[in-house]
Amino acid sequence: MEYKVALGPQHPALHEAVSLRMTLDGEIIRDADLKLGYSHRGIEKLAEERSFIQNIYLTERICGICSHSHTTCFTQGVEQLMELVPARRGLYIRTLIAELERVHSHLLWLGVAGQEAGFESFFMYTWRDREVVLDILEWISGNRVHYAMNTFGGVRRDIDELQKKKILDNLGLLRQRTDYYLNLAASEPTFIGRLAGVGKLSKEQAIALCAVGPTLRASGVPMDVRKDDPYAVYDEIPFEVCTADSCDVLGRAVVRVKELIQSYNMIEFILQNLPEGPFKVKAPRKVKPNEVYSRYEAPRGENVHYIKSNGSDKPERLKVRAPTLANYPATIAMLKSGFIADIPLIFAAIDPCICCAERLVQLDNPRSGESQVLSFSQLRSMANAHYKKIDLTKKEAAWPF
Amino acid sequence: MNNEEIIAKINSGLKDMVQEAVAAAPRRINVKVDRNHLLAVLAYLKDQFHMAHLATISGVDLGASFEVIYHLSNDVVTVNVRILTPRQEPKIPSICSLIPGAILYERELQDMFGMVVENIPDPRRLLLCDDWPEGQFPLRKDWKFERPAEIIPGGK
Repeated sequence: MEYKVALGPQHPALHEAVSLRMTLDGEIIRDADLKLGYSHRGIEKLAEERSFIQNIYLTERICGICSHSHTTCFTQGVEQLMELVPARRGLYIRTLIAELERVHSHLLWLGVAGQEAGFESFFMYTWRDREVVLDILEWISGNRVHYAMNTFGGVRRDIDELQKKKILDNLGLLRQRTDYYLNLAASEPTFIGRLAGVGKLSKEQAIALCAVGPTLRASGVPMDVRKDDPYAVYDEIPFEVCTADSCDVLGRAVVRVKELIQSYNMIEFILQNLPEGPFKVKAPRKVKPNEVYSRYEAPRGENVHYIKSNGSDKPERLKVRAPTLANYPATIAMLKSGFIADIPLIFAAIDPCICCAERLVQLDNPRSGESQVLSFSQLRSMANAHYKKIDLTKKEAAWPF
Repeated sequence: MNNEEIIAKINSGLKDMVQEAVAAAPRRINVKVDRNHLLAVLAYLKDQFHMAHLATISGVDLGASFEVIYHLSNDVVTVNVRILTPRQEPKIPSICSLIPGAILYERELQDMFGMVVENIPDPRRLLLCDDWPEGQFPLRKDWKFERPAEIIPGGK
């Protein structure tokens, strides 16, 4: 007997709005289907109406976690169109932020994986350490999430000696703790037991379905844009591409922990070898008609921007492909013949970023199925009317103690 | 293998099927083909250069025609294979038989540009909502979003 079960778009096991339709045979998933579009915002259309400078800040809003990934991918593409050579110090600082972002994203993922596997204390530990990275990012850029560091020709802020020292001190702490987690995860049989063998994706499948990032590398394919197609200053920084061949969620966790250690090494190298000189150069406003295909290795995998310019200060076309979209076909393959209980774990293992993968404001009435476009003020008056209806006596009730 | 060697091999191996093959930048090659030869060219690239990784498919509205660009990469180079399809008859072949991971990008093209992907295994909508009106394709240049005028209560 087969059952069809819908999971989402709003569901406690998924953190963002995405809908999964599954065909179940008892507890085993026989077929799965993803339905997207719940957070599509029309960013590609919007970008055609904005100038290149405005688009840096628009692309930053594609994602909250890999905000720097999208701006760097866009900025380096437009710099190629402008035939502009960015300042070397600027490129080093750009790469520094990129690696700090990777550390914060991977620590976030480790916590989520711990939580989905039922290891809540691990979640608390890694998220505490993530605060350290977020503080570093705040010292450099003034912001915790949207750093707004990139501009054409370099970066917007410099780093001084005091900041350098502070970052290196905090990095020591992070390194110590990551080593502890590596030992903990490697020696904790319940954690390994929960992750091993879950969400299998063979090497052939991963290549055929065009998976990217840690999902692909955990299936034994050493593909990393930083190595294959070096951008910024990755051709000057020593690092290794981390892979695993267990092809399961455990492998994806191992790849990410190894990448954390690589990132710490890279951050240290960048700070010790930071070249002197200006951190940005002046960039032209208009761009000659041309096209560019820019690749970037975001924490979740290969991020791709295709930019076509038409001679004005606005792009003719901006195409964004975030890593999560590339990993969806692979996720379906991983879910098949798995258990219902493994869905959150498998889904979390690609480190999904739904808003990244979808890029109109339209509201659907769930009861009538009608759709209407509402202005902000209409929304506000609806909200006010809603709150007026709520019984306020509850609010004034006395505290029971 | 550098850009020149790959371009020479593409030209000698595919001959008339390739209209143009140029190096656009370091590690970037632009190849122009006729849409009828698309599958044969992609199969050749896959066999000869292990170009199995399709990063994405970009659609561009050129006015009278649409340009569709397939971004394929291996570990040394990225090849952008482009085809043109007339606006009156925007038909492109599905490449899912060669690269199964292309399905979501083909569905996105159908949603956003109104392309007709022939032999697509799954023709449903990807990003647009179910009650989206037929014949409206947001990323075409002639499609404009008209925001209704906002009325501020109590305002002038």
